[in-house]
Order: sequence, then structure tokens, then C-alpha cells
Amino acid sequence: MARRLVLLTVIGALVVGGAAPLSAHHSFAMFDTQNRVTLTGTVSKFQWTNPHAYIEIDVPDGNNPPKHWTVELGSPSILMQGGWKFSDVKPNQTITVVLNPLRNGDPAGLLVRITLADGRVLANGPGPTGGN
Amino acid sequence: MRPHVLAAVAMFATVVATGLAAQSAATPDFSGAWAPYRGGRGADPKLAAPPGTEILLKGDYKKTWDARRAAEAEANKKGEPLATPAVECVPYGFPRMMSVALYPIEILPSAKQVTIITEAFSEVRRVYMGEQQQPIDEVPPGYYGHSVGRWEGDTLVIDTVGIKESIVAYQNLPHSNQMRITERIRLVAPDYLHDQITIEDPVALEKPVTYTLAYRRLPNYKMVEFVCENNREYTDANGAVRLRLGP
Repeated sequence: MARRLVLLTVIGALVVGGAAPLSAHHSFAMFDTQNRVTLTGTVSKFQWTNPHAYIEIDVPDGNNPPKHWTVELGSPSILMQGGWKFSDVKPNQTITVVLNPLRNGDPAGLLVRITLADGRVLANGPGPTGGN
Repeated sequence: MRPHVLAAVAMFATVVATGLAAQSAATPDFSGAWAPYRGGRGADPKLAAPPGTEILLKGDYKKTWDARRAAEAEANKKGEPLATPAVECVPYGFPRMMSVALYPIEILPSAKQVTIITEAFSEVRRVYMGEQQQPIDEVPPGYYGHSVGRWEGDTLVIDTVGIKESIVAYQNLPHSNQMRITERIRLVAPDYLHDQITIEDPVALEKPVTYTLAYRRLPNYKMVEFVCENNREYTDANGAVRLRLGP
């Protein structure tokens, strides 16, 4: 699976070419792209929607109630370019996500990559930056 | 059939075939879906877009542009990006719609009209072939203006006027209601398309700005729908973009 991610990343690098897109839906400056958070938890909701898809996830927190996180993804089009399907994530599945967290400290972030319940690893679109 | 009739039929067939070939050669096939082709690492420099020309704005237009760029840089440094129409799910309009991140565009050419549909926000342009352009002041300002097209050899030339002043152009350029945009679209290789875009605006620009967008063909690609139904970004009281968290 790691090989697949590497392949996607290479393809993405060829497509994106490291150049900044001329336009995107919004600036990604609200996310801390210098830091990454890894979370494993249970999916409560998966929204395959525009302008972005979202995963809601409950992450165990010791003896405390699970902590809820919101994960922003690219749009369905961008995700499909990275090999995603609308049915890849379902409620009650256990997944692991790597995020760039929000800079304001709220429990949310921009997806970097995901390990799906079936073990496949996907990026947030067709490249290391998910086309963003 | 008599020999002279056969000869006439054969000659007619040859003339028709030659005519079709000539027409086909004169109007290359732009139909189908196209993905933005970015320059940079891994890209073929012969197929990637050349750099755009210098942007020189006049007086108040320059002040507006400089101030916005400075405010954007400052806001991004704080992690509180400034709102844009797209954040509010308002479409880009022309010309920015022609290149949004990695979203493809689809071109539907016909003799009377070339239709361009974008995947991001499902924006639509209609280019009326062989028509005279209307005087700028008679076109109601809008997101896509009024476009007329003609073929110059293998190049589709599109003239557009009537873009609303609130619709910023390339690099967020402000403009006046006198802006005119000329596109020259041609295949630079069998599956690579360039759209050379020239923005003229005698009120806002010291000189015209020209830039090029490059695309690669996506054979058999089916355009993905895009309805902006779940917009979680919102603008706070300070004009910064925030993310609404889910339940």
C-alpha cells in the first residue's frame, strides 16, 4: 500500500509540478502546513460534497470521552483524481488520518493522508498536497 | 451507369472529400475534457505555458491592487486568509474560471457556438462563432460577458467584453468596464492546448497583459458535477476565513 501512495505522490508531483495553482477554492493559510497530527478513531460521518468532502471522527482520549475532530478533504473531483471513491469511508469504520491542524487550535485539520479501514492508503488528491 | 456519369460521381465524391479534409484541417479538434497542465518539475517546457507579461496598472487601480496584495500577505501570515467570492461559493467568472486548481474544463465546439464548461462551480461560457462583437457599452456587465469567435487558420480567436468590474481577472487584477479580453486557442501538440489570453484595458492598465494557460487532453473523461452545497468556510467579523466544525 505504501508503494501505491508513493506512486500517487510521484504522479501528483508530475501533474502539479510544484507550481502553485492559479486559483483554488480558498487559501489554505488557516491550516498549519508545517505540522502534522496523526489520529486514529471511529468515523461518525463522511460527506462526499462540494466544495470539500469532510470526515467527522471520534478519537479515544484515555478515560475521557472521545474527542471529536473534523477533517477537511479536497473536492470529489480532486479526490477521484487521487484514486478515491465516494464509498471509501463509511460510518463506524476505524481509520487513521494524518492532518495539517488548524492554526487556531480548534480540533480540525486538512487531510494529508488516510489509512482506510481496508488498509489502503490515499492522499488528499493526486499529489502530496492533494491538488490544493 | 454510363462512364461519364460514373466519372462525374467520382469527381463529386473527390470534391466533397477534399472539402471535408480542408475543413477538418482548418478547424482542429478541441472537443472534450482538458486538464490544466502546470509548468515546473516533470513538465515538458515546450508544452507548458510561457510566463505572463508584466502587469502595470494605472493610478487608483494600482493602489487597490497593491493594498489587497499586502493585506492578503499579512492575513495569510496570521493564518486568517481574507475572504474571496469563491469562499462564499460564488463562481469565479471569466477569465479566472479557465484555470482553477486541477479542475478540468470541457470544450463543446460546433459551427455556430463553442461552449466551454468548467468543472469547478460548473461555469459555462458561450462563444458565438462568426458574429460581430457588440459595442462594450451595450453589453450588460456579467460573469462571462459577451464572446464572439472566429477561426484564423488553426487558431480559435475569441473576443470577450462586458465582464463585471467586481470580477477580478488574472492575478486578481482589478479592471474597468472597458476591459477587452482576446484569446488565441490552438493545439501546440496533438493533445496539448494553449489559451493565450490578452487583457486590454486602457482605463486600468498602462499596457496590455498577456498570459497563457496550458491544458492536456483527458480522453474519455467524464466531467464531475460540482454543486457548492456544503460550504463550511465562512467569513468572520474581521473578514477572515474560518472553518465551521462538524457535529
